[in-house]
Amino acid sequence: MSKAANLNRNMFTFATDYYICVLIATVGVLQIAVSIGKINGLLFFKSPVVARTMGAALVLSAFVLFFSTAPRNVNDYEGGMDANGQALFFFYGAFTAVIVTFVFASAVNFKMKGPDAPPDAGIDAVRDTNYVLALTRSLSYWWRNWRTQMKSYFFG
Amino acid sequence: MNGLVGTAPYLDRVASWVVSDYLVPISMALTLIGLWFIEPVREVRQRHQIGVFAALTSMAVSSLVVMIINGLYFRPRPFETLDTTLLFYRPTDSSFPSNAVAAMFGIAFTVWVVHRGLGVVLIGVASVYAFTRVYGGVHYPSDVIAAAAVGLVVTYVVLKGRNLLMPILTRVIKAARILCLA
Repeated sequence: MSKAANLNRNMFTFATDYYICVLIATVGVLQIAVSIGKINGLLFFKSPVVARTMGAALVLSAFVLFFSTAPRNVNDYEGGMDANGQALFFFYGAFTAVIVTFVFASAVNFKMKGPDAPPDAGIDAVRDTNYVLALTRSLSYWWRNWRTQMKSYFFG
Repeated sequence: MNGLVGTAPYLDRVASWVVSDYLVPISMALTLIGLWFIEPVREVRQRHQIGVFAALTSMAVSSLVVMIINGLYFRPRPFETLDTTLLFYRPTDSSFPSNAVAAMFGIAFTVWVVHRGLGVVLIGVASVYAFTRVYGGVHYPSDVIAAAAVGLVVTYVVLKGRNLLMPILTRVIKAARILCLA
């Protein structure tokens, strides 16, 4: 394998490790944050203590996994990542973590079907309703009332 | 400070994690994600969410200011002029001021304005990061002190100017509420 091909392979492996680290750590942080913010529809476990402990364990294990599997102080032209690459892969990892959290929490909490929240409730609607149901209700409200809602969105 | 490297191998191992381009920057970014969701009270949560945008702006503007200073004045790294033990790779850009440290202080100071507790923790983390950058032989102390000053000044300017962006930010948050994200 040529030197350039080897370098590309190293960069890809590095970026993949980074992506997995961000993904796991973000899922952990989200569990801690939503348990403190009392957004129950996004919790994997009902108990705040369990949610926070699991969240902290995920964050810690993500970093340990990332740093213990390979040398990480590597320049970007020697197989590491530059700042743009880091920002991009952080976005990918965090975005995937948000999707994973919303889908998994909705599956776990599929029985959470609270009353209809006000149209602009936002994430407060997920306190006693699972995310998929809250999103469906919000979007269907917007679909039915888009004229009045657009007016209030742009002109207050 | 760098002369202490090698006296405590375990400490050096921890320092090599902290000094890296990943541990502290990822931790700061994760804190911003947490800050977005952490507050149960809607009005306070919106203030935090605007703070997240302000912190990202401070980080970007701090990096830009450092880039401009680096373009005007080049200072060689400590390992190029002194006998040092390096815990990091060998960067080729200017040492003064530290780009990474300025960006971290930009985030930390902004978070301090919107959430005192988290802000104090982040300023502590950014300070440890700055210390390990000097300890690891990547920067001179004056590089990280100047970087912290850049972060502080940029945060002040960004927060003074955030009212200009407020109409856009509140609309972004309103749009996120439709998707139950804010």
